[in-house]
Parts: sequence; structure tokens; C-alpha cells
Amino acid sequence: MAKKATVQPALHKVIMVGSGGVGKSALTLQFMYDEFVEDYEPTKADSYRKKILLDGEDVQIDILDTAGQEDYAAIRDNYFRSGEGFLCIFSITEDESFQATQEFREQILRVKNDENIPFLLVGNKSDLEDRRKVTFQEASDRAKQWGVPYVETSAKTREHVDKVFYDLMREIRARKIEEKTVNNGRGKDKNKKKKLKCTIL
Amino acid sequence: MNFSKDCNGMDVKEPDKTLLSSIDFSPEKYVRDLSQHCVGGPELRRLRKKIQNLSEETNNSLKKNVYQNYMQFIDSAKELSHLESEMYQLSHLLSEQKSLLTSLCTTSILADDSMIIRRSENKDENVKEQNQINHEKLASILEKVEGCKELLEVSARTYLYEGPLAELDPLENTVIKNVQAYLFSDGLMIATRNGRGLMKYVFETMYELGSLAVVNVKDLGNIKYAFKILIFPDTRIFKCDSETTKKEWLEKFDHAKKTKLTQDQQKRESVPEKSPSRSISIDSQSLNQFEELEDTVTAHPEWFLEAPEELDVCIAQRHFDDALALLQRVVEYCAHAQQDHVLIEVQRKVDVRHNNLTQVLMKELEISTGKSMQGGLGASRRAVRLLIMLGHSNQACDLFLKLCTYLLKIQYDRTKKEGSITVYVKNLSGIIFTNICHMTEEFLKNFPNSSACCSAYLVWVSAQLSYFSNHFIKRVFKSPISLSNLAECIDLVRWHCQKLCTYGVDLCYQVEGALRTYITKALKDFNDKFVESIKFKALDDNWNPTNLKSKNLLSKCLNEYAEMGLILNSYITGDVWLQITANNMEFSKTFLILLNNCLKLETTELLYAINDTISNVFEAQIKQHELILSEGTKADQKTFVIKNAEFLLTTLMVLCQRKYIEKLGFPCEKLKQIQDKYSSLITVISPTTRDIKTKYSSDQYL
Ligand SMILES: Nc1nc2c(ncn2[C@@H]2O[C@H](COP(=O)(O)OP(=O)(O)OP(=O)(O)O)[C@@H](O)[C@H]2O)c(=O)[nH]1
Ligand SMILES: [Mg+2]
Repeated sequence: MAKKATVQPALHKVIMVGSGGVGKSALTLQFMYDEFVEDYEPTKADSYRKKILLDGEDVQIDILDTAGQEDYAAIRDNYFRSGEGFLCIFSITEDESFQATQEFREQILRVKNDENIPFLLVGNKSDLEDRRKVTFQEASDRAKQWGVPYVETSAKTREHVDKVFYDLMREIRARKIEEKTVNNGRGKDKNKKKKLKCTIL
Repeated sequence: MNFSKDCNGMDVKEPDKTLLSSIDFSPEKYVRDLSQHCVGGPELRRLRKKIQNLSEETNNSLKKNVYQNYMQFIDSAKELSHLESEMYQLSHLLSEQKSLLTSLCTTSILADDSMIIRRSENKDENVKEQNQINHEKLASILEKVEGCKELLEVSARTYLYEGPLAELDPLENTVIKNVQAYLFSDGLMIATRNGRGLMKYVFETMYELGSLAVVNVKDLGNIKYAFKILIFPDTRIFKCDSETTKKEWLEKFDHAKKTKLTQDQQKRESVPEKSPSRSISIDSQSLNQFEELEDTVTAHPEWFLEAPEELDVCIAQRHFDDALALLQRVVEYCAHAQQDHVLIEVQRKVDVRHNNLTQVLMKELEISTGKSMQGGLGASRRAVRLLIMLGHSNQACDLFLKLCTYLLKIQYDRTKKEGSITVYVKNLSGIIFTNICHMTEEFLKNFPNSSACCSAYLVWVSAQLSYFSNHFIKRVFKSPISLSNLAECIDLVRWHCQKLCTYGVDLCYQVEGALRTYITKALKDFNDKFVESIKFKALDDNWNPTNLKSKNLLSKCLNEYAEMGLILNSYITGDVWLQITANNMEFSKTFLILLNNCLKLETTELLYAINDTISNVFEAQIKQHELILSEGTKADQKTFVIKNAEFLLTTLMVLCQRKYIEKLGFPCEKLKQIQDKYSSLITVISPTTRDIKTKYSSDQYL
């Protein structure tokens, strides 16, 4: 097992969430293949994998592009459970999609049961400034409230596309390292306790 | 004519059809040219007359065309209505075949299919068939896959899809093992290949569809045709053998999920008090839902548990309406309630009652000797209505029609046979048709929107009319009857048939068809008899004027004939003589009666026979005149015979044609031919009759 794991670079699992039509697929495809798709074809659930260099380290990113609409809560929970970090997308041209991020956030926190889960609030379609409905201010206020970064992207112009994915991966990587040390720490603690007990006896 | 040519010698043409109908004809210009080039009133008058004639001619041919088109229109309309009823009969045959096939199917189905009442009538067979296939499929899976006996325990589970898949290691992307995956309406079952043992596969796990997250793996390096399933904490990757099978799997998943979703929604809507979708995270491999069901057992209300007994009581006390209401309540309840074994048990018991009730109601409608039919159709109404509500409208229709047949038969027996045939036929057709109309009303009330029943009904009416026609033929044609009576009877039947049409049951043509050959034959018989008697009477004829003995009697006679439409004043000589033989006097009277009756019988199909009859008879009579003239009689008697011939060929003939046209709108060609054929008899001598042909030629009627 350990042998195999060293062969494969670290895998970071990212999930794209957000209402239908906000540009989850468009961002994913731009990041993966440097292309922008004009047509809108609703997604069910697609996954992509890519090898990248993150701060000089070979890693793999696994992107799960989910559906804006999923009827079964239980199924959505299963999607969310598989993620290590989330890009929560809304479209700056559509207020409803911004409102919906609140719900997505709550669901993710419920499922992952972790306030500090790697998470970015992403306002997409920044190229459509003239049709903006959600101000930068209110979006970044919400992000601040959640304690997450807010970034505006455009899948069309590729603005900040790499940034959101890389930033998220860095957070994921940081979390993983952190967890490892916590686990190790805890393990040490346990050992200590045992040892203590032993010495008492 | 010469004059006009002289005066212009150029391009003013004589008016004729080709000129007037040419495209570049301009009336103004033509009239201007005419008045320029023609000198004098007579010439203009002549041209005007000519144009008038042309206009009349055109008018006539127009009328003729209109008439012809109209006839064609009527004929095609008739043809259409025949076709329509044939289609109905076909439809009936088909639905009979269908029910036969279904009954054959049901006898061979082993799977119990309780609560038939839940399904609508036409869905029934389809559902059964699918259940059958599903059942067989599940059974075959049971044989192949070890350890999945519980598969059949969920009654609503249906098989959707299966196929081999290769499972990949989620990190390494290498094949771990080959599996067989089965998709059901409620879940995905994974079975692994079994090296040893009798069965091919071993049950591994069952994932519930309501929480199965499927991911289309679009890009996984060099791994193709893969999809993932995410069920926490499992993430499994499966590889299909081609893009098409992968697409197929994803579509099947999607479709199954959507179907389940709509079903769940329906359930949720009907049971609002149930807690909204508790998070369904089942442990993989937990197929056993029994524990879950156990705690809802007590939830059923008392009335539901007691329903079977209550139904027994209702049926025994003949409170059928209450029974039906309770049945419906049970069905409604079942549709919403938790499906557990208590519910299924009650459902089974209730199903038995449902069948009982159906049987009892069908018994109500059955005809048995001893049973009083006093109530007639009205008494059957309730049973029919309830049977329809129970979903047995076909049986109800069948029984209803049997009952109608029986009631009609009673009427046939009851109608007294004494008295004249006409009276009997009048009575009988009155009774039978009134009954059929009444039954039609009743039928329409009972079965307002079932096309299968409707075609059954039409077939029934058709059979009844055949029966009636046969009866009618036996009574009317197989015994001596006068043409007047025959015409009256037939007219009556036609009138009744027409009345049935107002209910949308157009079967006139059927009755007409049944009677046609008999009417034709009867006409032929009358024809022969009549011709025979003409010949016979001619033997005794000594060709004398008729002596009416007194002025009084003469005027009485004149009145009598005037009433028939024959004005005989011009034939009077002296005080008491008529220049018509007694034979011709009698002939004209009987011929007019014959004609009246024939015209009463007239239909397009019978017209040929009718024309034959009247012209044959007429010819037989006029022929006698030709014979006597060819024998070389004395001059004064010759004039008398010719005068008589003239009476027949003009006075009588004109009247006949008038009557004929009144009824049909056009003159009788055949009579006209006879008139032409014998016109030489009267044109030879009498100068007054020279213009008969043109004057009375039937052209003027068009
Ligand atoms: N102008 C502009 N259009 C965009 C941008 N991102 C996405 N779109 C368009 O928005 C539409 C929807 O984009 P998708 O990426 O398919 O949306 P989605 O979030 O994946 O939607 P679902 O799969 O239904 O959840 C497409 O027509 C895209 O071309 C953007 O940054 N700028
Ligand atoms: Mg999408």
C-alpha cells in the first residue's frame, strides 16, 4: 500500500457547486482544456482528473462538476462527502444564484461537519460587468462572514480561473498537512496516556 | 340571316356558346358592334331570341350538372356512413379478440396480481404482462446469483438493466475484479464472479437508488468508458467495455432515478403526515426492510382492518352502493398507506370481496327463466352502474345487451298476430323500434364514454335489425299482400329506421339491403301479374266508348278522375259518353295506384326495378292499341283507338311524369322512351297531336 501511494502524486478532490447555469462546467473546462464552451448543456455529474505542478510539487486534481439541480438530498450528500475542497460558484449577473450559495454552504458544512473545510466563494461571469446584479461588496461581505476568500472569475476570459483552482488546492494541501500533524499529535497523546497508565500501575 | 350578312359582311358573329364562353368576350363591345352593324328591329329581335335560347340551354345544362353532382354527393355520403358502421363492427370484433386474448393470458399467469381494482381497465393487461416478464427475470437472477434470496421480498421491485463491469482501483486505476451489475427500480446490485459453485455470481451489495450518486468520468488519464458511484464511504469506479454501454448505463441510472422520484413524490403528496424523507443512508448489504415495516403494523385504522367483514355484510344485505363505497375507500387508503404484510393481507381479502360483489351484480343482470322481468331495463340500471364503477364495463355492457335482446324477444312473442299483416307489421315495428330507441337512450346514459362498449352496442343494434328484417320478410313477403300494403309497411319501417338515425345509429342501409331483393322480386311479380291481366282484358275488349248512363254519373266519374289528376272533359261526347274505353278508364286508375306505390317504395337502388315495372305495364297497355290498329280496323273505330292511344300517351303520361318528377326531380326515361316509341300511333293521323313530342317532352322539366 505505502509503496503504491508513493508512486502516485497526491490527489486533491475539488467539487464545483452552485446553481444551474452559473458556469461550473465552463470554469472546469477552461481550467482543464483552456477552452470556453458557449452552449449551455446542464450537467448531471462529471469528473475530471489532471496532473499539475503546485508550487513545485506534482499533484493530481480531481474535479467533480455537479448538477445545479439534484433532486435527491441523499445523493447530493454523497457527492459532497467525496470532496476535500469546494468552489462555490454563483453568477454575478444573477442574484438568485448568489442567494443559493448560502444554502450550498450550509449543506456542505452539515455533510462535512467541518467549519474549516477548504472553500472559495466564486463570483463568475465577471466579463459581463454591464449585467452585474451582485456587487463585489456584498459578495465579499458574505465571504468574510464565512471566513472564506472571495474571487471573481470569468470562464470566458479565463480571468482568475487558474487562481481559484490553485488557491483551493493550496488550502486542501494545507489542511491535509495540518490533519496529519493533529492526528500524529493525538496519537502521541494516546501513547503518552497509555504510558502514563502503565507507569502508574 | 342574309340580311345581317348583307348589311355588315364583316366580323359580327352569330351568338353561340363558343363565342360567349371565350375568354376575351366582352358583352359591352359585342352589343356595341351588333347595334352598329345590324340594321332594323327584326334582325336585332332575332339575335335577342337566339341569345335567350342560349341562356335557357345553359340554364338547363347547369341544372342537370347540379343534379348530377348532388346525386353523387348523396351517394358518397351514404357510402361513408356504411363504411363508418363497418369500422364500428371491426372495432367490436377487435375488442372481442382482445378480451379473449387477455382472458387466455390471465389463465396462464402464476404471479398473483391482487387489487385489480387499482388499475384502470386498459392499463391492466399491459401491467400484467410486464409483471410477468419482471417476475421471470427476477427468478432467473435468483438462479444465477448466490445469496440474494431477499431480492423478491420487495414486491414493487422491477428489473431494469444488467451488464458486466470491470471495477477499477480508485487510486491506481487498475482492474480489481469483474462484476455483474443489476439495476432495479429501487437499487443497484453488484454481484461478483464466482469461481467455484453452481451459480455464476455471488451477491456482493445492493445500493439504494435514492442515495446512489453516479458520476460520469469524463477524464481519467487513459482510462476510458468509466463511471463512478459514490456512496459514503465508498467510491467505486467501474469501467464499461464501450462508450455505448457506458452511455446506456448512465441513461438507465438517470431514467430509474427520475421514475423513482416521481413515484416518491406521489407517495409523499398522498401521505403528508409522514416525516419528510429521512436521510436514507443505508448500510450497504442491508436488504432486509422488514424491521422497518414491523413498527408500522399497528398504524392501520380499525375500519380498514374490518373492511373485509363489513363488505360481506353489505353484499349479503344487498347494500351494493355501500359495498362499492367501502371498496373505493380501501383502495384509496392502500394507495397511500405503508405497504406491509397486514395491508397486503387485507388487500387480498378485499379483492375476494371485490370479485364476490362483481359476481353478485352480474347475477342481477343475468336472465334466468323464473326471473321476473317486470322492471325491464330500469331495474338493471343500478347493477350496470356499479359494475362499471368496479371496472367491469365490458361485462356490464355484454349483460346489458343480452338483457335488451331478451326484452325485445318478449315483445316479438307478445305482439298479436291476428288481424291484417299491415296492422301486425305496424304494431310490431312500432314496438320494436320504440324499444330499440329506448334502449339506445338507456345505453347512452349507462356507457357514455366507452368506445369498446359503443361498438358492441352498434353490433347489437345491427343484429337486432337483421332479426327484425328476417321477421318482417317472413311476414310480409311470404304471404299474399297488395302492393299498397307492402309499400305502406316498408315506408313505416324506413321511417322508424330514420328515427334511429337521430340517435346516431344509422343502419337504414342495412335494413334496406335486407329488404331490397325481396322488394325487387315483389315488383317483378306485380309487374307480371299486371301485364298478364292486361292481355287477358284486351281479349274481351270491343273498343267502344264508355257509356256512363246518366249525366250525374258522368260528372261523378269526371270528378273522380279529376281528383286523381286526370281531366277528361275533352273526351266527352254527347251527354253520357266518354271517348275512352272502359278498359283504359280502369287501367289509368290502377296504373296511377301502381305508380304511387312504386314511388313510395323508391330508393336509388330500387329505381331500376321500379322503372322497369311501370314502363312494362304501361307498354303492355299501349301495345294493345298498336295491335288493334295493325289488324286493319274500320276508319271510324281507328280514330277512336287513336284517340285512346292519345289519352294514354299524353294525358295519362303527362300526369305520370309529373308525379314522377315530383318525387324524384327528374322524369322517367323509360316512360319517355315508350312515349317516343309509340308516338307514331297518334302522329299518323291526328294533326292536333303533332307537336306532342316537343310539347310534352320531358326536357321542359329540367
Ligand atoms: N459570458 C460568460 N458566459 C459564461 C461564463 N461562464 C459560463 N457562461 C455561460 O453560461 C452558460 C452556462 O454555463 P455552464 O458552465 O454550462 O453552467 P453550469 O453551472 O455548469 O450549469 P449546470 O451544469 O446546469 O449546473 C453557458 O452558456 C456558458 O457559455 C462566463 O464567465 N462568462
Ligand atoms: Mg454544468
